[in-house]
Amino acid sequence: MGVLIVLFLTAILVLFSGVFEKGKYARYIGIAGLIVGLYVSFLPECEFFAQYRSMYEYGDNAQLFTKISIVATSLLFFLGGFAFSNHRSHQSELYALMLFALCGGVVLFGFQNLVTLFLGIEILSIPLYVMAGANKTDLRSTEASMKYFLMGAFATGFLLFGVALVYGSAGSFDLYTIHDFAINNPKNLMLIMGAILMLCALAFKVSLAPFHMWSPDVYQGSPSLITAFMASVVKIAGFFALFKLMTIAFNGIAGDWINILGVFIILTLLLANVMGLVQTNAKRMLAYSSVSHAGYIALIFFGINNFSTYILGYYLFAYSLATVGVFISLLWVEKIKKETSFTAFNGLGKREPVLAVVSTVSMLSMAGIPLTAGFIGKLGIFNQAIGGHYEFLVLIAVLGSALSIAYYLRLIIAMFFYKEDNFNTTEKASITYNIVSVVIILALVSMGIVPDLFAKIFGL
Amino acid sequence: MSYLLLTLLLLPLVGSGLLFFWKNASSKYIALAFALAQMFLAFYMLGSFDFNPTVDAPLQYEITYPWSSYIKSSLNFGIDGMSMLMVLLTNILVPLIVLSSYNESKGYPNSFYALILLMQFGLLGVFTSLDGLLFYIFWEITLIPIWLIAGIWGQEDKRIKFTTKFFVYTFVGSLFMLIGLIYVYNHAASFALTDLYNANLNINEQNVIFWFIFFAFAVKLPVFPFHTWQPDTYTYSPTQGSMLLSGIMLKMAVYGVLRYLLPITPLAIGGISGEIVIILSVIGIIYGALIAMISTDSKRLIAFSSLSHVGLIVAGIFASAVVTMRTGLTFEGGQGAMIQSFAHGINVVGLFYCADILYKRFKTRDIRKMGGLAKVAPKFAILFMIILLGATGVPLTNGFIGEFILLKSVYTYNHLMAVLAGLTIILCAAYMLRFYGKAMFGKGDDSVLATTKDVSNVEFTVLASLSVFVIVLGVYPQPVIEMVTSSVSFIYSSMIN
Repeated sequence: MGVLIVLFLTAILVLFSGVFEKGKYARYIGIAGLIVGLYVSFLPECEFFAQYRSMYEYGDNAQLFTKISIVATSLLFFLGGFAFSNHRSHQSELYALMLFALCGGVVLFGFQNLVTLFLGIEILSIPLYVMAGANKTDLRSTEASMKYFLMGAFATGFLLFGVALVYGSAGSFDLYTIHDFAINNPKNLMLIMGAILMLCALAFKVSLAPFHMWSPDVYQGSPSLITAFMASVVKIAGFFALFKLMTIAFNGIAGDWINILGVFIILTLLLANVMGLVQTNAKRMLAYSSVSHAGYIALIFFGINNFSTYILGYYLFAYSLATVGVFISLLWVEKIKKETSFTAFNGLGKREPVLAVVSTVSMLSMAGIPLTAGFIGKLGIFNQAIGGHYEFLVLIAVLGSALSIAYYLRLIIAMFFYKEDNFNTTEKASITYNIVSVVIILALVSMGIVPDLFAKIFGL
Repeated sequence: MSYLLLTLLLLPLVGSGLLFFWKNASSKYIALAFALAQMFLAFYMLGSFDFNPTVDAPLQYEITYPWSSYIKSSLNFGIDGMSMLMVLLTNILVPLIVLSSYNESKGYPNSFYALILLMQFGLLGVFTSLDGLLFYIFWEITLIPIWLIAGIWGQEDKRIKFTTKFFVYTFVGSLFMLIGLIYVYNHAASFALTDLYNANLNINEQNVIFWFIFFAFAVKLPVFPFHTWQPDTYTYSPTQGSMLLSGIMLKMAVYGVLRYLLPITPLAIGGISGEIVIILSVIGIIYGALIAMISTDSKRLIAFSSLSHVGLIVAGIFASAVVTMRTGLTFEGGQGAMIQSFAHGINVVGLFYCADILYKRFKTRDIRKMGGLAKVAPKFAILFMIILLGATGVPLTNGFIGEFILLKSVYTYNHLMAVLAGLTIILCAAYMLRFYGKAMFGKGDDSVLATTKDVSNVEFTVLASLSVFVIVLGVYPQPVIEMVTSSVSFIYSSMIN
């Protein structure tokens, strides 16, 4: 709860900093606040907040995921510099909205109660609807905002209907009361319907097929920094909420929803990867890659063991780092060329070697090549699913990975194999970009070489 | 804890890291210095290597270091006879490969050499790791540098299409291997080699796992229907890339089959799966040789000849394995495979270099447009002939003994198969001599020949070093046979248990 307060206050401060100097200091205040928040997230929870435990508990898992998402958000804040330069007058609002969305995520990490879950989801989503439309002069951005809002509204409807059905059957919003009820009444149709509706609602949020239709357009239309935020922090929050909800509240009726989730995964992995192959725009490709990763991550529900939460955290952190890593060069190319087709990346390897390398390492990590964090994450997830005898799903995931490597390679090939063309500026990427790049490379590679590093850093 | 092996593993990595930032003209000398140091280190290790280890301690220079608490895998490296031979092969060929590029002016030379050394690091890791996951990791590490080498310094615009195909093919193969290894890991509770050996899979599981793991090896070798990436990639890679791919990287798969596949899935090999592999590789032998017969592109010819030779290696390994599972221990197939791997590495690197030299003289890879080089380049003619004879497997060259043992192994399995597999030697003689005849004799273009020079010092050094190995190992192969015998027999006998 302490973290939540720190982040919330930071967001307010950032919002009001826009009054002075056109929000010039918003980013720095935000970074400072995030660092304080990260520090607080390592402290044990104050006893004063114990009275809220039935709504929100800052337990071990909540701590881990809070830390991860604060780190991911801070990296994006460091990159913020020129990413928002098109809309200078609204910088502080956008940074503040990002922080508010993060607060929503933190609420989700500790929810004990379906009401908190709902609040968290809405606090997370509503700022995103606004941020997606931040490029007010760009029609695509407006379209993204509209689309995201409409789809989000549908998802909310699903969620609320699900909550209502669950409440109607179990008579409580409390996660553990529902858990006990589900174990004692595994055949309660109303509860099962509720669980499935909630699953669908959250599948919207994490963009699992067939509820992924909004994501390519929204990802492409939104300002790139916001897209990176959606692909990293929102995914972390959405998945952990889904994980906690399904494995705690609806564990007793797992047989009724797990097959549906299995179908979602198969659809996601095949659709997203095949669609990713035919893209000509890097940002859209990354959107499909993000959808496909939702498919891999959802394998965590199969063959659950004691390590599952740890693996989930590991995978999500690795994935967020990699996402930010790819977006670094995307942000840069978009700024220079005002577009993000694959050909826009030609020759980036020579022009900005550090940015090209960080994107390459990140994409290799997403594809699961050894010595990167992504490999350890995939290994953990595959190992768990094979241990739980879901070999078939793992095979589909392997097929998906095989397809995905082809489109990741296209970007790497563009950066390194093709000759540079029409970079009509001599401007070099700023030092912050290079520093963040090096940090991400080091993090991805060292987590890939020393898998226990993750546990050590986040104090597990 | 052996610091010798640790140095061997880390030296190329250090060299590679250094070269990435060494942006000046002397990067090639630095690369050669590292490669030579590495070669001497390998020979030094050979000096203190025990050729006849006791049964309970076959591994030497072992390193163990805990790696992760939640994946039961450890950093475990060690060397036995098979590993030693492959480490030697790697460390002999890498300096020659580095040297072979000295006459060319390449863009970004520092990155080029850095990637070669990185590749060496990966290869040494594959050949010395004693842990399934570690093996997989190094197996994948080798893919990145070779892909970049082929993609950035490749010869024509088509390179991008073919290198992508190569990457996707091998990546898919590797993923299947990973799934297979994870499955075994779930039964063995650890990735350690001995635990994987004792995983107690039933025959149905073994049949499935066999194909999962074999797929990765089949792609890399390549075995017949999985080979389609190979000719294109060999053709459009820079010469050094083709050398690395065919000379050393291919041997990872031979090594992997012996080290991992045979002991983990013996029941599958004793059953129908082993037979299918033998039939596929015999098809590959004949198919590769026949395509090589009609190839006019010199690098393509070598690529298909390599396909044919590798088919024999695989057929030999599996023939011995099948016989072992059915009637009792024979391990000569594995022995022959290791010896032939070493010889093939030397020969194919030599052949690719000869093709490169021809390309530089005639400015074409089409052998029909070459001719008459023997008159103006006698030194080259002799060295080329020696390497060519080695590749053909003429007695008293290094190719002979391995092919002989392999054919003998196939013969004990099935006489007809041995006859078919034996075609490789006859057909090889036919296409190799045709290649040599077209390029070296006949009537060449006089205007080209008038300006053509004999081999330069660098070219002479590389080819002469390789020729020495061709002849010495051909006349006296005993040390190599001794080196691998104990470890190969250990692997085949662990199949029966």
